[in-house]
Amino acid sequence: MRTLLELRDITFSYGPQAIFDEVSFGVKEGERLAIIGRNGSGKTTLLRMAAGLLAPQQGTVFLDECALKKMRKRSIAQFVAFVPQQLFVPFEFTVEQLVSQGRTPYLRALHNLRTEDYAAITEAMSRTQITHLRHRIFNQLSGGEQQRVKIAIALAQQPKLLLLDEPTQHLDIGRQAEILELLLKLNREGVTIVAAIHDLHAVQQAFPKVALVHEQRVVQGTASTMLRPELLAQAFGLSSHAALPILRQAEYFSSEVEHI
Amino acid sequence: MSRESQLEVQETYEREAAAVNPQSRTGSLLAIVIGLCLLLVVEIFLATCIGAVSMKPATVASVFLNRHAEALQTEKTIVFQIRLPRVLAAALVGCALSIAGVLFQGLFRNPMADPYVIGTQGGAALGATIGVVLMPHVSLLGFGATASLAFCFSLLTMVAVYWLARVGGRTPIVTLLLAGLALSTMLSYSTTFVVLLHPESDVAIRLLTTWLHGAVSNTEWSQIALVAVMVGVGALLSLLLTRSLNALCLGDDYAQQLGIRVELLRASIIVVGSLLTAAAVAIGGLIGFVGLVIPHLVRLLVGPDHVRLLPIAGLAGAVFLILADTLARTVLSPSELPVGILTAFVGGPVFLFLLRRNKREYAL
Repeated sequence: MRTLLELRDITFSYGPQAIFDEVSFGVKEGERLAIIGRNGSGKTTLLRMAAGLLAPQQGTVFLDECALKKMRKRSIAQFVAFVPQQLFVPFEFTVEQLVSQGRTPYLRALHNLRTEDYAAITEAMSRTQITHLRHRIFNQLSGGEQQRVKIAIALAQQPKLLLLDEPTQHLDIGRQAEILELLLKLNREGVTIVAAIHDLHAVQQAFPKVALVHEQRVVQGTASTMLRPELLAQAFGLSSHAALPILRQAEYFSSEVEHI
Repeated sequence: MSRESQLEVQETYEREAAAVNPQSRTGSLLAIVIGLCLLLVVEIFLATCIGAVSMKPATVASVFLNRHAEALQTEKTIVFQIRLPRVLAAALVGCALSIAGVLFQGLFRNPMADPYVIGTQGGAALGATIGVVLMPHVSLLGFGATASLAFCFSLLTMVAVYWLARVGGRTPIVTLLLAGLALSTMLSYSTTFVVLLHPESDVAIRLLTTWLHGAVSNTEWSQIALVAVMVGVGALLSLLLTRSLNALCLGDDYAQQLGIRVELLRASIIVVGSLLTAAAVAIGGLIGFVGLVIPHLVRLLVGPDHVRLLPIAGLAGAVFLILADTLARTVLSPSELPVGILTAFVGGPVFLFLLRRNKREYAL
């Protein structure tokens, strides 16, 4: 299976604050990978570098074995879509108008949306089950609905790789389960998914692969090898006794959701 | 997913896609633009008929068609030397300010950014005043010093506001308005200072009494030609930016990850917006709030999509300012009001309404 995303020997810092020190990290086609780690450990930075929004000070980011810095912005946007944590929309854009912006990388200035663009927009709304909201104002939607719209914008880009920053944050338990179910469905349909995520319940439920960001390093493995009390305790600054109940709770939660 | 269910999903997508007819959307934009163009032509014709000397539409039509040329010499002079230049100047100024408003609002992601409010018009006015008062015979790059200096000062002010008002990738209302207020005040007094350096000149007196309050009177054809080129170029470049402006509304990260070169886009908006503002100020002086009111009203009618908003707002701005200027020269006939007074009467309340509506959203 080919490697869709590779960060090779990446070093990155915000001024004097080092975030990554010669980190290497890869994602294969069809994977579902969760990035976990403490607040401020660099999860979002990792995603932003993968999307070409931040350039590492050293090292190279590869998309499908092509160096990202040599790719055109449009080509990057057609390959990878990033769903940020927050979306502030200052004007009253409808859902459909926002989703149609996902077609920007495919359009030239002054060119109208073509039939295939409308098809991609409609498909993105349909896959995220927001077709019925297409004429609603984005700012008037609930948190869960807004999250779906953000994912639909990304899907309209028809990306091979979908990057999400905290897709379940601030959502109630039901909406969290809906978003995770949606990500599972998209993955089954062929989209490779990488999500920075805090919630270990969600990680256990939906992500077979986990990357742990800790002390300027990234450790990658299967969920069962990575979600061990001693590893998490070290990464999150807990005692092993404190980490265990969190994992048990997560296990209980995920089995409950599956049961529902 | 089984083959059957995949086919079912695909059929649903195709059915829903077929329900959306792309031609109908493009057609509706074209219909609105053509309708506004026709309205503009009719309005220009009617506004040319109205004034201190009332003329029948048939007479004006004869003048335009060059019929009874010898019998209508006076009317011809009134139409071609006084009224038509003024009406066309109003149209160009309205169009330029309105498009500049749309551009700045997209750039700042804030519906209250207007060339007058954020001070760029003040910058252009100072530049134009220096050109008129201090170097009336100088020409820069083949253009009159007035237009060139208006553009340079407008650009500088825009860069200053942008630098002062941006906080962490956003432009809060508070910093935008305060930066705009401080710069506008400084520029306004600087303009008055420049004018007072030559208090005896006729030009200086005219500047103080009318132009600085917004007026499109005393416009010559050569000025109109220059401004028409500036507005034409600015409007065409703006049209190229519309789709990118939509993406920029979602924030820098979104725009960038949608393939937009954000820094280049920002620089383009600042240059094009400054060009349009300078064009408007060069013949219209300080006409406030057009760039605020028109984009706001058009956004209410056709939504915030810049592909539709920008051309419609440009034409609506032209229609609006011809109407406002016609009222300004007829309400107290035979004396005239500066058109800036009328636009302030309309624009001020809209500005306050927007401020009140948005204050919670922007945590004022």
